[in-house]
Amino acid sequence: MTASHDEMLDDVAVYALGTMAADDAARVRAHLETCAECRAEYAALAPSAIALGMSADAATPSPLLKARIMREVRHDAAQADAHPRTARALQGRLWPAYLVAAACFVLAMWSSLVNLSLMQQIKSVRSANVALSDRADGLARTLAQTQTTVADLTSANAEHFAVGGSEIVRVHDHLYLAMHDIPQPPHGKVYQAWTLPKGGKTMQPSLTFVPDAHGSALVALPVDARITTAVAVSVEPAGGSKQPTSKPVLVEQLG
Amino acid sequence: MELDAGDLIARIRARDADAFEALYDAYHRLVYGVAMRMLGDASAAQDVTQSVFLKVWSSPDLFRSGNFSAWIVRVTRNRALDVLRSRNAHQEVELPEALPETDAIEDIAFARLDAAAVRGALATLPPEQREPIELGFFGGITHDEIARRTGIPLGTIKTRIRMGLRKLRVALEGAVTA
Repeated sequence: MTASHDEMLDDVAVYALGTMAADDAARVRAHLETCAECRAEYAALAPSAIALGMSADAATPSPLLKARIMREVRHDAAQADAHPRTARALQGRLWPAYLVAAACFVLAMWSSLVNLSLMQQIKSVRSANVALSDRADGLARTLAQTQTTVADLTSANAEHFAVGGSEIVRVHDHLYLAMHDIPQPPHGKVYQAWTLPKGGKTMQPSLTFVPDAHGSALVALPVDARITTAVAVSVEPAGGSKQPTSKPVLVEQLG
Repeated sequence: MELDAGDLIARIRARDADAFEALYDAYHRLVYGVAMRMLGDASAAQDVTQSVFLKVWSSPDLFRSGNFSAWIVRVTRNRALDVLRSRNAHQEVELPEALPETDAIEDIAFARLDAAAVRGALATLPPEQREPIELGFFGGITHDEIARRTGIPLGTIKTRIRMGLRKLRVALEGAVTA
């Protein structure tokens, strides 16, 4: 093996690491096409170089980032869903015989529902329908709240108050608390938010919460943001306190 | 983590937003961690993280097979290099070329590597080999720039990188079979 080829093997390693400028990289790529030994070296070293990135310390971005990304993704997914619905509607128009058969079946069923046994089944189905309807209403309300939250957090009108690694977001009359990289509270304890109303002298107790497995929490505070002048967070016993019992981990005046 | 990535990508191809959310939950800290290490700026790192995940959503076919963590790290590094390139637009420093994102070069033997195994393998390298490798990968600079900054001859830097990567491979293989 020549000294110059040894140097080329070194170059192949640098290329595999991804630290080569474009001109040098082009030269190495051209050589790889003609040299089996260097191709083998590249195949041996490139996976190790790529695996290197996994050694980076994991870190947690703001929970608002996820809200931003998911808003775009769900919007795009909803648009993708619109096409299959159109296709299904078209299918319906293309299969009138199927619909006719279905209608005949329903009529036949209806005419046979004259005995008490079937009437009782209908009553049972109706009860189930009511329960399902209530559940659907509940899910719709939850979805609407989630959509409101996402819309608020990504709104151009949102005011962001950074507090250390956390944020308080004010959008019109809504107020959100976003915290990340916070430790889990000790056993039997929770985090509790506190708010100070305009003209008030004492902090008012608000929601209690615990962060997710990644140390992130996003809380919609149930207050009118327009008349709230400060937000604080402290660690309190599970169930919350009427007055803070520990030093706040976050305090922010809202201008 | 790795076992589910291929399945989640398959569901993302079918425009399943819930699968995407699960993928984000599993990998966003790795992506953000790489971006933060390369850029040292939370705002820029979040922009890169957003760009990477929206790329996964729009082009899930870019990931073909192998170790998803390694693949998404490579995509993240390339996006972070773009940011560094724009920052250095008016400077003389030449930045490295982006790594290929569509070549399936990951070794199947490494498909189940995790962060702890890679950190452990990296720790077995002597500092004179580990430092230029880490500086080159995460610092987003060329080997010429590493030589210039450290005052070590260019040929020595290249040889140390090669020797280091060879040792890293042996250590990673040991971690995989352990």
